[in-house]
Amino acid sequence: MSNDLLAAGLTSWLIAAGLALTGRATFFTRIILGIGGGVLLVLVVTTLPEGSASVHTPLGIGVSGSDFRLSPDALWLLGFGLPGAIFATWLGTPARHQATWSFGVAMSLIGALGVFGLQDAVSFLVAWEIMSLGGAVMILGEDLAPEKGRSVLFMLGLLEAGSVALILAFLLLSQQTGSLSFSDFAAAAGAMPKAEQLFVGLLLLIGFGAKLGLLPFYEWFPGAYGAGSGATGALLSGAVLNAAFFGFSRGLTEWLPVNHALPVSIPGIFIVAIGVLSAILSALYAFQQEDWRELLSLSSAENASIAVCLLGATMMFRQDGLTDLAGLAWTVALLHLAGHALAKGAMFLAADGVYRVVGDYMLVQRGILARNSWIFGLGALFAAMSLAAMPPLAGFVSEWYLFQVFFQGFHLSSLASRMTAALAGAGLALTVAIAFAIFIKLFGIGLLGRAERRVPQIAITTSVAVGVLGSLVLALAAGMPIWLTHLAPVSATFDSDAPSKMADGWLLVPLTAKFAFISPSKLVIVMPILALLPITLLLLSIRRRPRVVPVWYGGRDQNPQRAATTALTFSNALRTFYSFIYRPIIETERESPQDSNGKPYFTRRLVFTHDVAPIFGPYLFAPLEKLVISLAARLRIIQSGHLNFYLSLIGALLVIILLLVLL
Amino acid sequence: MPLWTLFGLRKGKATTVWPKRGQENGQEGVRGMPRIEPQRCEDGCTQCAAVCPTEAIRVHADQTGAARLEVDYGRCIVCQLCVEACPTDAVTASSDWAFGTCNRSDLVLSGDFHIVPKVTEPESRHGFHRSLHIRHVDAGSCNGCESELQALNNPFYNLHRLGIFFTPSPRFADLLLVTGPVTYAMREPLQRAYEAMPEPRWVMAVGTCAVSGGVAGGGYACGNGLEGVLPVDLYLPGCPPNPAALIEALLMFLERAPQRVKGGRLVE
Amino acid sequence: MIGFELQSIEPDNVPVAIGQLIKNGGRMQMVYGWQPDDGHLELRYVASRGVNEDFLVLRCVPRGPLPSVAGISPLLGWHEREISDLFGLKFTGLPEPYRLVLHDGASPVMPPLDRAYPFDTPMPFEPTEGGMPVVDSADVQRLPFGPVRADVVESVELIFFYIGEHILHLHPQLFFKHRGMEKRFEGRSLAHGVILAERVSGVDSFAHGLCFCQAVECAAHCIVPPRALMLRSLLAELERLYNHLHYLGHLSHTTTLKVGEAEGKLLEERAKQINGRLTGSRFLRGLLIPGGLRCDLAPELWLSQALEDLRKDVAVYTAMLETTNSHLDRLITTGVLNRQVAYDQGATGPIDRASGLDWDLRRDHPYAAYGELPLTVPVRTSGDAHARAQIRIAEIDASIALIQRILLLLAAGPVRVDCSPTPHSEGLGWVESPRGSLFYGIHFDSGSTLSRVKIKSPSFSNWRVFPLTVHDSNMMDYAINEASFGLTVAGCDR
Repeated sequence: MSNDLLAAGLTSWLIAAGLALTGRATFFTRIILGIGGGVLLVLVVTTLPEGSASVHTPLGIGVSGSDFRLSPDALWLLGFGLPGAIFATWLGTPARHQATWSFGVAMSLIGALGVFGLQDAVSFLVAWEIMSLGGAVMILGEDLAPEKGRSVLFMLGLLEAGSVALILAFLLLSQQTGSLSFSDFAAAAGAMPKAEQLFVGLLLLIGFGAKLGLLPFYEWFPGAYGAGSGATGALLSGAVLNAAFFGFSRGLTEWLPVNHALPVSIPGIFIVAIGVLSAILSALYAFQQEDWRELLSLSSAENASIAVCLLGATMMFRQDGLTDLAGLAWTVALLHLAGHALAKGAMFLAADGVYRVVGDYMLVQRGILARNSWIFGLGALFAAMSLAAMPPLAGFVSEWYLFQVFFQGFHLSSLASRMTAALAGAGLALTVAIAFAIFIKLFGIGLLGRAERRVPQIAITTSVAVGVLGSLVLALAAGMPIWLTHLAPVSATFDSDAPSKMADGWLLVPLTAKFAFISPSKLVIVMPILALLPITLLLLSIRRRPRVVPVWYGGRDQNPQRAATTALTFSNALRTFYSFIYRPIIETERESPQDSNGKPYFTRRLVFTHDVAPIFGPYLFAPLEKLVISLAARLRIIQSGHLNFYLSLIGALLVIILLLVLL
Repeated sequence: MPLWTLFGLRKGKATTVWPKRGQENGQEGVRGMPRIEPQRCEDGCTQCAAVCPTEAIRVHADQTGAARLEVDYGRCIVCQLCVEACPTDAVTASSDWAFGTCNRSDLVLSGDFHIVPKVTEPESRHGFHRSLHIRHVDAGSCNGCESELQALNNPFYNLHRLGIFFTPSPRFADLLLVTGPVTYAMREPLQRAYEAMPEPRWVMAVGTCAVSGGVAGGGYACGNGLEGVLPVDLYLPGCPPNPAALIEALLMFLERAPQRVKGGRLVE
Repeated sequence: MIGFELQSIEPDNVPVAIGQLIKNGGRMQMVYGWQPDDGHLELRYVASRGVNEDFLVLRCVPRGPLPSVAGISPLLGWHEREISDLFGLKFTGLPEPYRLVLHDGASPVMPPLDRAYPFDTPMPFEPTEGGMPVVDSADVQRLPFGPVRADVVESVELIFFYIGEHILHLHPQLFFKHRGMEKRFEGRSLAHGVILAERVSGVDSFAHGLCFCQAVECAAHCIVPPRALMLRSLLAELERLYNHLHYLGHLSHTTTLKVGEAEGKLLEERAKQINGRLTGSRFLRGLLIPGGLRCDLAPELWLSQALEDLRKDVAVYTAMLETTNSHLDRLITTGVLNRQVAYDQGATGPIDRASGLDWDLRRDHPYAAYGELPLTVPVRTSGDAHARAQIRIAEIDASIALIQRILLLLAAGPVRVDCSPTPHSEGLGWVESPRGSLFYGIHFDSGSTLSRVKIKSPSFSNWRVFPLTVHDSNMMDYAINEASFGLTVAGCDR
């Protein structure tokens, strides 16, 4: 049954890819893509919590084909990535050309499916590359930004650097046993020297970190996301991001052995540190963005970093043999990404909705909320609240668990681990606070606020998509005790059934109710009741309506829109406070008229530009780029077209082959 | 590094005890509106009316055809030209500056100067006797009035001690204090400020410009004070009215002091 | 007595002539329009040349649009816009081609200073937004503040373009208080003219009245008796005294030095009470008349002692201000006006002298009794708020010394002579008011009534300069910077 569904889903995506290549029937293509997603969603719902049966496919690269199996955690992560993907394909990109984009979507989804399910290194890498290229095809196919080529190349460059790291890691692992199958990797890693294990871990960190947006790789996020549409963003931050996390999590927790000889999990501490720093930096940069997609993309990097922190915590707990806590940390990472994928999908699609009516993705007060249906508003509100970790939504649940995980760091035996947990808790608190501000900014400026001119209404389809995704975020939180039971077998890796200990009736607890508890399910009921009081007051005040006069602007009739908070002014205080990180650039150019005789006193126009300086760009990526360009310049001779040069090359090659054969 | 607090304490109290006790109101030698006694006029003399730059003194014929003086202190700018022009002692300089009134007609000394018009009771100011919040609007003054209004909060007058405060916004003001003849550009802001005030609200015209236009009334850019712009509850002519006059007028408005001007004359 | 030299100039030669004048060390003071009886428009470009030299007045009869000289002498930009608003004369190549004195939306039937303008006819007015620089970014927030601002202050609308604490640009929308004062002089007698001049700017009443009288006396070649000249100088210094004391109190208010504010304002009150006791008017009004004073004063008996008492308290007060770190920290380097900008834009008075320009009309073009009096003119070069405050502190000292000197020199004698100008004459008056140089240009018609009175107040010049110290500054410093300029709006708007 499950394999039939899998085949059906994959087939429809392949058909869609084929259709997309013809460039016709784009709507039909997207429907088929959506159907494929829907079929797989059914697969996920029906097979959880067990995981799908293993199938041997002859399609794999290499002589023996490859195995395909979706483990429960893969199903969970895939399942929560799918709703966003289904709605994104249903709505399509707002760009003019749908065909190329649809092909990219199909590539990404097929690649992601492969990453989730393929069980050997070679076919995994092929799927990984298809997924990466699919992202690039989507963005290039949309043709939304003039500078898209550069951003996409930057993204692909970094992803390829990651892929090289992955290839190297797989080579090292397969060398031990001579097997490319993932099932042998754990044994292979166990047989390695300690230093080599650490090296493999580092390679995995680079390989998957490039996709997850760990530092320094988050710097490709705003450029690439900002060159594509919201629909692309929903896919990249949903199914694709989850697939990358799945790969990383499997590598760290299943392949690499727990080294009980050491008193402290150095890799765990390192991963937590990288995760916290990435989360803080990407949150800080996300807060300064003025474009829906760029802001949301960096927020994705931040959320992925939080999940990576939890992976680090898992490793630290396992090192100390605290299997339940390790299971807790790991489960929380899954919960976090689940809620994130849904909410981020809703926000990205909302961004597309805004783009379709106003023509750009800028965060400007336009009175979107006032003009549109409550379905859209509620969906966007739930999603933004969840991403801002406000109760009772999914983001709140997972981030509450996140802090419980790090609070329980006192169970750890070594001082270094306890310190790490405490510092990580502090760092993540900062991140969460900034994330709160990020979504106040996004929702407040992007959706609330007054409009200077009337904007058309957002299409009902978008509203429904956002509304449904937003409601799913709420449902995920409200039904958390139920969903947790479906995760129980997932953490079997750690000899723990943490998920079943995380719910106590309708309460959510960090393994024990004695430590702390919340109940989003009850909050869902209580919070509307609490709202009754202000609502009653409001209703009462309508009867005793006070005299209403215009806003007081010192006696003039001013347009409040022009005095309204802008995206920059909202985030400027933090920009000033953290100027040592941001190193903000402010430039004001004053244009004088010609008649001013070169004197600077008469200003006709003020051109104001501002930016924050990237941290790694100028110091890490720019020199690398320079190196590549200079190498390219040297190697250009190969492309010179001189026949004699080519002939001499061939001649030299033949001589070398001859020598090799002779020797 | 100087110790300002100590300096302030050693300076002691600078605030006058007036108006509770004594006469030390800081206006020694300050001239007020000229006192005019038409019964001392020479027959047919209209020199004071001729020199008056704001037509505060006008001559009109009564029923018998005899020329009579009508003095509108709401137009007087205290320039003292009439005092200098008067050949007799019918117009004399005085220190009558306490010309605050709730009734515009009390500022007019008509030909029948012995008839004192009845003072109409203003809207109830119940609950405001001890405390009043004022929003000031400069509707085109020469800044003389502003200078004296700012002086109200210096330690000598110390208006706060009387429970009277200036507010930064009309949103929490009880009294709109207007100076200036109301220029074309300030008319709308002034009306918006009045609109922005909560009810009950009152309006005070401070300075001759706000009462009647004064020297700056009319012309291409100005109105004639608050006439026809806002309903006025308290008039205080003067050019500018000094801080003591402002305090007296405000206390009179709060029914904590008697109105001293009746029918164009100061009554003791 | 220094007067002015009138030269005629062809409209086309104006830019060249003014360029030459500036090259030779002259400084433009103002340009204004007036209509002689036959109704054509004439312009007068007024410039100062060297110390103790006559002012140069260039007479120009425009035939059609005139080339703007704002590019050559930036301070004339506002004057040209004013002429354009009030006389309807077009200038070609105005760098800021917006209305200045009249608000956008005011539509007079004809230019209001045209002598044919129907008397007492208000202009139809529909408020709209005035011309200002375009700010080309959706990121910049706009803060409109005023015209009704917080506190008891004069009406002006300040439009800030800002990001957080950072002010990118300040556009002051002035002339809400434009009362058309210059028009009111038309056809008035001299006695009424003084009354009007005294009410242009209340806190500069005496300076305006004096400047008016001096312009009339200049036109009438009238010799004012020595006692009147001495008393005029004395009263002018009394005006400086209370204004500067108010300034220090208000500046302390903006630096939140509460006791310093109270003491400054109390000292101001004492100075005003001295004014009231001496003259009957706290603003020194009602004393001046062309030809002398309306009445004699008797300051000999008590003024010296009262001022000495005041001086002692002021000395203690200013010494404390100058050693209060919290106060000085907020003044030093705040609102720096460099010498070149101050010169180009025509900053005047203490603002000018705080930026290193050593110019004081009392000393360099003496009037009243200043020619016979020793005068110290303080100059600072740092151009910041602290320098502006220090200039005022030094001037308070100098003023009191000057008054004491006058009281010693004051001899009995008449205080008034008859002054009647000849028909069709014109006069120029200048006074160093507490805020800087004040000019009156006066023209008489066929009778001896006033035909045109032009007022160039110091605040008109300093408001032009002020925003240039605000651009790219800090919101927290704004109030301090504004207070350090000591601007009046009424004087600027007229």
